[in-house]
Amino acid sequence: MIWHITKRELYDHLNSLRFAFTIVLLLVLMIVNAIGYLGEYKSRSTAYQKKVSASLDKMRSNADNLYDLLIAGPGTLYKKPSVLSFCTNTGEIFIPESADGVSDRSVMLPTRFSFKAIWRMEYPQSNPNLWNIMPDYTNVDWSDIVSVVLSLIAILFTFDAISSEQERGTLRLILSNSVSRGTVLLSKFLAALITISIPFLMAALINLFLLYTSGSISFGLSEWGRLGVIVLIAFVYVSIFLALGLLISSCVSNSSISLTILLLIWVIWVVLLPSTLGATTSGLQPTMTSDEFNARWQSLYQNLDAQYIRRRHDDKIPSREIPATEGTLFWAKYITEDAKRNEKLNEEHLDAQIAQIQLARSITRISPASSVQYAIESLAGTGFTRHVQFLAHVRRYADEFMAFLIETDRADRESPHAIGPKEGTSQKPVRFESIPKFEDHISFAGAYNAAATDIILLFLFFLVLFAGAFLSLLRVDV
Amino acid sequence: MFLTLIRRELLDNLMTFRFAAAVVIMLLLVVANTVVLIKDYELRLADYNTAVKTHRQELREINKTYSDGMLGVWGAMILDRPPNPLSIFNTGLDKRLGNKIKVSHTFVPTIWDANKYEADNAYFNILTSIDIVLIFQGILSLLALTFAYDAIAGEYEHGTLRLVLSNSIGRGYVLVAKYIGAMVCLLVPLLMSLLLALILLTTSTTVSLDTDDFLRIGGIVFTSFIYLSLFYLIGMFISAITRRTSTALILSLFVWAFLVLVYPNMILTAVDTVPRTDTKTAAYNQIKQVWEELERKREQFLRNDPIPGESWSLGLDFSLSFDDNPSRLVYHTDIAGALETIDEKSEPLVPHAQNLFRFLGPLTVSTAERVWLIRKPAFEEIYVQPANRGRILLKFSPAGLYDAATEAWAGTDFNGTRDFFIAAQRYRQAIVNYFHDEKIFASRQWFAADQGAVDWDILPQFSFQRSDIGINAKRALPDLFLLLTMNVLLFIAIFLVFIKSEV
Repeated sequence: MIWHITKRELYDHLNSLRFAFTIVLLLVLMIVNAIGYLGEYKSRSTAYQKKVSASLDKMRSNADNLYDLLIAGPGTLYKKPSVLSFCTNTGEIFIPESADGVSDRSVMLPTRFSFKAIWRMEYPQSNPNLWNIMPDYTNVDWSDIVSVVLSLIAILFTFDAISSEQERGTLRLILSNSVSRGTVLLSKFLAALITISIPFLMAALINLFLLYTSGSISFGLSEWGRLGVIVLIAFVYVSIFLALGLLISSCVSNSSISLTILLLIWVIWVVLLPSTLGATTSGLQPTMTSDEFNARWQSLYQNLDAQYIRRRHDDKIPSREIPATEGTLFWAKYITEDAKRNEKLNEEHLDAQIAQIQLARSITRISPASSVQYAIESLAGTGFTRHVQFLAHVRRYADEFMAFLIETDRADRESPHAIGPKEGTSQKPVRFESIPKFEDHISFAGAYNAAATDIILLFLFFLVLFAGAFLSLLRVDV
Repeated sequence: MFLTLIRRELLDNLMTFRFAAAVVIMLLLVVANTVVLIKDYELRLADYNTAVKTHRQELREINKTYSDGMLGVWGAMILDRPPNPLSIFNTGLDKRLGNKIKVSHTFVPTIWDANKYEADNAYFNILTSIDIVLIFQGILSLLALTFAYDAIAGEYEHGTLRLVLSNSIGRGYVLVAKYIGAMVCLLVPLLMSLLLALILLTTSTTVSLDTDDFLRIGGIVFTSFIYLSLFYLIGMFISAITRRTSTALILSLFVWAFLVLVYPNMILTAVDTVPRTDTKTAAYNQIKQVWEELERKREQFLRNDPIPGESWSLGLDFSLSFDDNPSRLVYHTDIAGALETIDEKSEPLVPHAQNLFRFLGPLTVSTAERVWLIRKPAFEEIYVQPANRGRILLKFSPAGLYDAATEAWAGTDFNGTRDFFIAAQRYRQAIVNYFHDEKIFASRQWFAADQGAVDWDILPQFSFQRSDIGINAKRALPDLFLLLTMNVLLFIAIFLVFIKSEV
């Protein structure tokens, strides 16, 4: 019986104008998305390769002297573009695509000695779109299509599912058969889900086909797997709105009122909450302001100065004597201490900023639209989630790079082994091949876990709403 | 009879559930977002104030000589772009573009050279916030369509249209009555939400609006009204040609999705944004040549100088500053000095240094002017024109027109943002003129602070006022006029369709 009703509903839907409208809309949006990203990945990855090799060239030129490497560092570190960036790209324009350190910075001291600061990460906060004056329209990506368009379509297919049958009196007809109300609800739900999945899958396949045949993207097994999970998430998400539509439709006996209530809920849930909740709740965990940061930076120098500079250690001058003299060791300690404290402050600041955004993002999960967005982000390897991953890689690499330099310096017998001042550090060329290189990779180890949390959350939303729809249908008088 | 019709339409619309829903949706969206946007503006204003304070302080504390202030890396003369309070209505480019620009006699500043001062948390921007115009553009247009789709089709279906037209009333009057009735109803959520937004704005202590700002907001409201009316007319047109409410609703939603969602994205991907590398390299090489010519002249001057050696540092502790960025056509070099003390041994060198800078200062200024003549057209061609092409294409959609017009009113469009940089260019000119008039280039304080540091307060001070309302209006009017024309055309079209149709 359940299939019988489902089939009837399905025929009804497939012959309706809204189905045709859905097909056209989804097709157009997916094709626009594909065209927008056709050359995008290719140009981005060539730009990435070019920049990385420029960085490496710079490193190679610095490699004829270990001290130069210590001062200049490995150059700018770039984030690898993701193949699946067409799935979601939200917020990407505000996220830096590289990380840079302090390189070649001279420090003047009020003593006879002045030096260059050794390289360390500084995590610049510039956004890559600083000079972009193109009009402000975001590219339509999969997450927009799913979270905004599919949810709206789900509402359009269910707002009159029960109320119109009530209006026309056909509900009584159906229920006069030996069919339970649960079966009716389930078959209506299934019919709507199948109806929506046809144009969505079709549009998605055309989108992938365009991207695939243009040769701009090559998908591997992992990409297909992740795309599959993204589609699964889309289905769970659509189910939520279908259940919501059924719930309201069975509560209200008038279709137009049902549609208006649903649109109201949709606007609040999908448009309002994701856009305002994050920004309003970010105050719960404030980071240090730039004033505070500057104050802490200054006090850091005052502390250092009180230890080293105040007493004007004019007698302490670094030299190339082996073993290292007191003067060499003294300034080596100063320079490394300076780098260490600076790095610590910067990392603390960065961690606080990331924590602030993470908190705001977890609160916006009240809206399933945000959940979907974040899940797709972690699966596609873009957005903030990916940036946090990139920063972790950068941090690990920075430690590795410094450890390598110290190790190499230790192997040089002509060096006093006092890293920091020029006199205390090895001046020998370093074999370029042996220097650790920064190789950014997108890892999806955590992606499926993160997506699983979001899917469970979405599924819970669905269960609650579907149970609600069932209960309210039980109460309906026919 | 006409008034009766209007009253009937008004009552019909006011008593519906969709009217209540429209009011609730608009109020919720606008109020919640205004609170967020005001908070965001306050943060940016606080950042701006800190930046102004630090830049002022750094200029005075670190730069003891004129050349150091013009060329120094630390604490050079930096102007800060204040955030625009009307960005609450339409953010435009206000948040995105650079807001920190260096003033130096060696180059003419543009948006291209602007940088961003540090904010507390730069990742904050990824928490999306939507501005008021975006709410109107997306949601209000949708509401207008839901009011319009059954305006004529509904009456056909109910058969009431025949009833109305059986009275001695022209069809045009019926249309006008419907239009007026619905627009009054749509104005209620629009004006109520704007009113609440304004109340929030005026109660905030940090947002200060002057009379001009209220007039600009008036312009935004008027533009919103025209935009709303256009979407209502689109819905009415669809309603008139389809004659069936369900078809009209679906078609309206489709048209909405196309005009608001699909078209703007589709057209922007079509715009050619590939940088013109040949123009770029040609211009860059030209700029480099001009500067190399200056370097040659400087060497020649040094060769004729009685001090032995051809070094630009003259044995004093000068530094050569150097800026080279082919991607943004930046190239310049200059010599700066920040000597705290001059010992007896170097004292005889001072007149030579003064001679050098007397020669070099004006030459640098004229070189910068010449470079600007090369850089300006390249800047326009590589940077400004592709964006303008994109903007023009966007204007084929009412959503794009509306966005452009409200941006122009708010002053957050490209021209409005550029005003600041034009003011910065003017200020640079004022500084250069001051240097010429006071013979600063040849002064000892240009490179040495041993006889007292520079008093930066005597220099002309920078002040920036947003362009006045007349200019905003001038920039907004073409788009507004296009919107109005579309309105009139659609109305005529509806009239023609309606007059020909049988009831």
